[in-house]
Amino acid sequence: MTVTPHELLAQMASTFRHEIGPAVDEPFAKTQAFMAAVILSKLAGQLQAAEADAQAAGDERRAVVAALRARLGSACPARLGDALTDLGHDGSDAAWSRLVGSLYAERDGLGADEFDALLGVVRSALRARLDRALAYAS
Amino acid sequence: MTDAAAPVETRIAGYLAGKLGADDLRLRDVQRIAVGWSHETWLLDASWTADGVQHERGFCVRRDPGNALLREMSDLGVQFDVLRALEATPVPTPRAYFFEPGVDVLGAPFLVMEKVAGVCPSPWGSDGRRFYEAAAGRGVLPGSFTDALVAIHNVDWRAAGLDFLGVPALGTDFAAREIAKWRSLIDATGIQPDPVLTDLICWLEANVPSTDRLVLVHGAYRTGNLLIDDDRVSAVLDWETEVIGDPMYDVAYVLSELNRERTELLSNIVERDAFRRRYEQGTGIEIDDDACRYYQLLYAMRSAAFWMSATGLFASGRNTDLRLARTAWSIPVVLDNAARALGY
Repeated sequence: MTVTPHELLAQMASTFRHEIGPAVDEPFAKTQAFMAAVILSKLAGQLQAAEADAQAAGDERRAVVAALRARLGSACPARLGDALTDLGHDGSDAAWSRLVGSLYAERDGLGADEFDALLGVVRSALRARLDRALAYAS
Repeated sequence: MTDAAAPVETRIAGYLAGKLGADDLRLRDVQRIAVGWSHETWLLDASWTADGVQHERGFCVRRDPGNALLREMSDLGVQFDVLRALEATPVPTPRAYFFEPGVDVLGAPFLVMEKVAGVCPSPWGSDGRRFYEAAAGRGVLPGSFTDALVAIHNVDWRAAGLDFLGVPALGTDFAAREIAKWRSLIDATGIQPDPVLTDLICWLEANVPSTDRLVLVHGAYRTGNLLIDDDRVSAVLDWETEVIGDPMYDVAYVLSELNRERTELLSNIVERDAFRRRYEQGTGIEIDDDACRYYQLLYAMRSAAFWMSATGLFASGRNTDLRLARTAWSIPVVLDNAARALGY
């Protein structure tokens, strides 16, 4: 029998919640035990969904890069183009933030309507990222 | 210098005896509160004889543990100076007695102030909600809550000597400074901001409101940061984020949904219209709803910075409290609220 990492974390959470926490008398330590259970449960959920989440994030990222490149065409400002190139290779928070920052930096040159349209595309993808994070937040 | 191995209570007693010129000082009812998240706090009663006269007084001691939340922006020395400056004003605050910047006495800087009568229930728990619901029903606390904010905003801060807090220029300077201040806290965490937070910060920077009036702003005015005694605000606490700035910054926080739970009452105690009427009447300042909506988004940035700071403290090993680690999952909740307000 193989135990997956997320199953192991979930079982550890259960042990903290049902056995260790109730057995601890000192209030601060008791709180820590129950908090460990909460954190391990969240990590277990995130680990279980990590592969599917990464797949979805990659698909969204590529779609955003393609949509913005298509919309901007040859008029793409250099800073924005660089940020899109980075995001094409790298789905980190930093790469997404660079794209958002470069959009705001080019706002005047793009014009209000174009800026809103481009930011709207980015925000759709960010909304999806956020929704995945919220699945473990509460 | 005191004996570093002695219990904290003994060291506090020795320190107070020296400051008060007492050789028979005794402490009783020593309580330690607020463990782990912020400054460490002790409440205690002291009795002593000086110059042949018997004295009794309650004290509150706050120590900087060196790894508390908001430590980068919250200096006990500044809190001491603010409390001293407010003593001559109508703002209900504890009297500040002593500030010790060194580490010899308690191992860290600390502040000694008056122990004010009152309770400070958390508005987030069921006991606190029941407390505020009952107090709201009796009708006195809602007005007192509003009046204490009015008193803060009516302070002649120049006359009180509070300009050491920094005075922004009229116009957009105040909001720009606040964004920069909280951005610096985010940078100090060493955690890469979520792109939704980047979007929020960029939006805030691109839409900075102008203000033509500067007041003393508390920066976190809500139940939970106020002592309540006999249905009145007996002391405004937590002077950690005060600033000279736009009065709507505080008003926005009061109007925010962040500060109430399972009730329409602002901060769990005051009806919106009643607050608006009393505040505007007391200050002569008309509430600007557009500015409040802006500042509520700035509070979202602050909240994200706060939780990132908490997460960073744990991740770096500077604070081992697992409740700080749990706050990593509070960040998406804050950003969700901000994203909805921004339209996505």
